Amino acid sequence: MFFQILLRALTSQNTWHTALEFAALILLPAIGGVISERSGVVNIAMEGLMLVGAFASVIVTLAMHSIGASDPLSVIVGVLAAILAGGLMALIHAGVSINFKANQVVSGVAINIIALGLTSYLVFVLTPAGQGVPSLSDTLRLPVFPWGPLANIPWLGYVLFQQNVIFYVAILILIGAQFLLFGTNIGLRIRAVGEHPQAADTAGVNVRLLRYLCVVSSGLLSGLAGAYLALGEAGIFNPNMTAGRGYIALAAVIFGKYTPLGAAVACLIFGLGGGLALPLQDLNPNNSNLVSLLSTLPYLLVLIALVGVVGRTTPPAADGIPYDPGSE
Amino acid sequence: MAAPVKQTEAPEQRPSRSKLGSLARKYGAALGPPVFAVILAMIAGAIVILITWPDKTVDPFTNIIHAYATLFTGSYGSFGNISDTLVRVSPLIFASISVAIAFRAGLFNIGAAGQLAVGAMAADMIGLTFTSWPSWLLIPVMLLASILAGALWGGIAGFLKAYRGAHEVISTIMLNWIAFYGTDYLINSPPFAAPLGITQTIALPPNATLPPIAGVINQIFGTQLDTFTYKVDISIFFALIALVIYWFIISRMTFGYELRVIGQNPKAAKYAGIPTKRNTFLVMAIAGGFAGLAGSTNLMGQPGYNLTATAFSILPTGFDAIAVALIGQTTAIGILLASLLIGGLRSGSTAMQAIAHVDPNLVLIIEALVLFFIAAQFLPVLRRALPAWLRPRFVPTLQATVIDRTIVAQPENGKGDAQNVAEIPDIEKEE
Repeated sequence: MFFQILLRALTSQNTWHTALEFAALILLPAIGGVISERSGVVNIAMEGLMLVGAFASVIVTLAMHSIGASDPLSVIVGVLAAILAGGLMALIHAGVSINFKANQVVSGVAINIIALGLTSYLVFVLTPAGQGVPSLSDTLRLPVFPWGPLANIPWLGYVLFQQNVIFYVAILILIGAQFLLFGTNIGLRIRAVGEHPQAADTAGVNVRLLRYLCVVSSGLLSGLAGAYLALGEAGIFNPNMTAGRGYIALAAVIFGKYTPLGAAVACLIFGLGGGLALPLQDLNPNNSNLVSLLSTLPYLLVLIALVGVVGRTTPPAADGIPYDPGSE
Repeated sequence: MAAPVKQTEAPEQRPSRSKLGSLARKYGAALGPPVFAVILAMIAGAIVILITWPDKTVDPFTNIIHAYATLFTGSYGSFGNISDTLVRVSPLIFASISVAIAFRAGLFNIGAAGQLAVGAMAADMIGLTFTSWPSWLLIPVMLLASILAGALWGGIAGFLKAYRGAHEVISTIMLNWIAFYGTDYLINSPPFAAPLGITQTIALPPNATLPPIAGVINQIFGTQLDTFTYKVDISIFFALIALVIYWFIISRMTFGYELRVIGQNPKAAKYAGIPTKRNTFLVMAIAGGFAGLAGSTNLMGQPGYNLTATAFSILPTGFDAIAVALIGQTTAIGILLASLLIGGLRSGSTAMQAIAHVDPNLVLIIEALVLFFIAAQFLPVLRRALPAWLRPRFVPTLQATVIDRTIVAQPENGKGDAQNVAEIPDIEKEE
């Protein structure tokens, strides 16, 4: 009985569609996290960066719409605004941790708190009577991108070729980031800066600039994920709507041993955990409460994976240590 | 490079200062950065109000003054408001001790929120199961259950960190969400759930609740204080006792000394034969125990006496605790003062919204900025940026205090001391 339901859940196209959707959403900030940590700056602020991105995307899309821009243009500008907002917020983290040598974990926590506070505050200020942002109409949302005839393949079509447009962007970014980090000169420099900044500096690499770029790019990616969440999946902005997804992305970074591809595998596992929660509800149809118990699945998977499969992950040697040209 | 200079100058400086002066300097150096950070954050908050200008009928400056005035009166303006603030302060103290004790050992406990949730749930389950027990037995058992549940939750993270190398930030975050969803499930499930349609547990029986202070006073002195207006319960005294216990562990016990060594230099701790792994596990379990008490005392002391579903995932206490521990520089007295500050901000923000029409989330912005200003070592940078004649001059004896403090505030940054040594010569050149 249990295995029947599990099997049905595991083979259902809805499960995998949802799993990939969820995976892509946390993949973007996870890639950003990988890049940032590889350069030696701990970034636990993805949650806040995503939230800021989600907020900016909805507010700007609505603003563009209200001044009469066409719907697609509004959405595009909204997405760009989200990316920009994430980048700006990450710039604060970069400045505080690179120039002011703050404890990067504390700075990340502060970013998360300020993102929650600022977005909730601005929603209150910007909307009439502070009642919140209205739901977006379908034309103002990020569209699903069907791949013509491929989308009609049974099962596979729905799972792979009828996803949101950002899903495909995320896959392109994944391939790009993996190549950037491990196949190019710049990637080598980024990794050198994260492992031994003194040596990299001696070799002529601008440590601070590179770290700034990496942290900001993690913000850009998290901002894009925020837009995907708000404009793609939810179609609305709610305070604290990221609900811990940024932290799962953080787990994926470590779980994936600080590589984009590893993080992608981790995201897929978390996505599957999320996708299974609803179909597994059938285990006990009378207990609608079961879903909250099943929602713990992805987090349990991470914990178990941390204990068993992954074991000890080694972060880049200089991760979290501000670079001081004077030392050693 | 800094050491010789200090050695030659320090003996000349020290005898000339009075004991009172050195004491004042010591506490000034400890209090200075947090107070400065709070003031800066309040100014930044004022700028936010200035830009957004919520109440258009009056000018922005009146708005700012009005907002901050209501923020203050809403938190400490009357005995009733002070009582309401203390209701928030009590769990905040417990949770902050949890974060702070982990900080001392170089660990970052983001899991106070989850440990608090399981603590409250465990106490609730005991209280609703053994309803017939007398309160002198039931209340201690419930408190103990919350300590154990929290300790289990923290201990898992500590164990994974010590023996499997799993980063405590990740495992505590995962445990948080497992706790949030798990408690949601239990709260909604048959034995404890309230009748259909309400997503909360049944209220605890009277023998499982902590009495309000006003009620105790009424009983002893025969006064007629309204326990609805003055609803702070006796758990605030438990919190103060917990602070004393925390101080004792850290300052007077070998275990506390070992923790501090591990936090400041794990390698030295290992070479000195300190059982690093065991202590890592233990400190996370103890941290979890304190956080568990934050959940149970609040549940048992505050009217309602029940748990509501999804409440824990939005409860800010566990995360505010991080701010409190950092602002308080992880000392017992610092935690007390910082809890009064953050608890006051939270408590006053409701009044600020109702009277001055400023969104309560402004308080979050202020809190985050305080964290930024404390985390960023921008004071030395700022000092260097000033023109020479404006630069404040420091006697070298201050050096040791500055270094001490920075290590405590940043226990996991192994190079913290190295940075400061590198920065201090700059200041010294001016002397």
